[in-house]
This record gives sequence, structure tokens and C-alpha cells, in this order.
Amino acid sequence: MLTHFSAVLLFSLFTSVVFGITQRAQPRMMIRFGAFCFAIFVGSTIVISWLMYAIKH
Amino acid sequence: MATEAQQIAQRVPGEKSSFPALVLLAGWLIPGAGHLLLGKWTRGLLLFASILGMYLIGLGLQGKIYSTSTGDILDILGFAGQLGLGLLYVLARVMSWGASSVTITLGDYGTKFLVVGGLLNLITAVDAHSLANGRKASA
Repeated sequence: MLTHFSAVLLFSLFTSVVFGITQRAQPRMMIRFGAFCFAIFVGSTIVISWLMYAIKH
Repeated sequence: MATEAQQIAQRVPGEKSSFPALVLLAGWLIPGAGHLLLGKWTRGLLLFASILGMYLIGLGLQGKIYSTSTGDILDILGFAGQLGLGLLYVLARVMSWGASSVTITLGDYGTKFLVVGGLLNLITAVDAHSLANGRKASA
């Protein structure tokens, strides 16, 4: 069974692959944009999670 | 002799041809098929694996498969998103995969995977169409 975090990682990975390929024309830029999207997805999830933790406590 | 990929790259925007429409339709019905038709094997397979992954995780998490029968506007929006999965959506309906309603917490995540997978597949189909008609540069 997936944990919440592994679900986030897989969602971010698959979505970033599609964004990278479809939103850029050059293979090198596809990889860079895909990696950027992945970092933003996972990073923002972690930041928002800690914010919710801080609000609750 | 020009290959199919070179011919595609030489197409100019606005040129009348049924090939871009075929690519759009194939890309919608089968994730990544539009790119495969254009000879872009790596991209096509990566897109196929990604969208199939979203679909399988969504089903594995007991995500809801939407239909229009309830008449609820949110259900219709979910249906529109999942319809983007093309034949994968039809397969889930025919085989009664997924859930008819969300019964566990992770089922809500599964539903989001299915809807976003459908929307991503629409983006890939439109991308393949743009490559086929020359609107997007072919590298």
C-alpha cells in the first residue's frame, strides 16, 4: 500500500515527465523543465505540510 | 529519400492534411500513440508509462470512475477529466474497475490520479497534434 508521501512522489514524477515532454521542444530543456516541475511539486508539498503542522501545533 | 519524420518536420502550419487529426485521435485513445506515430519512440513510451502509471495507481487506490448518470455537476467535471484517458477509461467502465463511490481515504487520492491522468493524456494528444501540423518545433 502506498504511503501519502510515496503517492506524492509518484504523482510528481509522472506529471513532471508529461510536463517536461509537452512543454519544451528540445530534449535537454525537457529534462531541465521536468526536473524543475518535480522539485516544485515535492518541495511545495513538504513546505505546505510543515505549515499545516505549525498551524495545528 | 525523406523519412516520415523529416516529412513531418517540413509540414507548415495551416497545411491541410488529415494526418494531424489522426495523430490527435490516436494520442487520445492510447496514451503516447500520437508521438509513436510521429516516430518519437522515447517520448511516446515515456508518456505511455507515465499515464498508465497514473491510471494503475488510481485504480489501485480504489479511485472513483465517474459517469454522467448522477447529473451532479462535479461528477460531470470528473467524467470529463477521466474521459481524457481514452480507451483506458472505456476499459475501466467495461471491466467495472475502480470504485463507484469513494469509500476509503486513499480512494480520494486515487480519484485525483485518474482525473489528472486523463487531463495529462489530453495535453499529450494536443502536443502530438502540434508536432504533426508543425506548430511545435520537432527536435
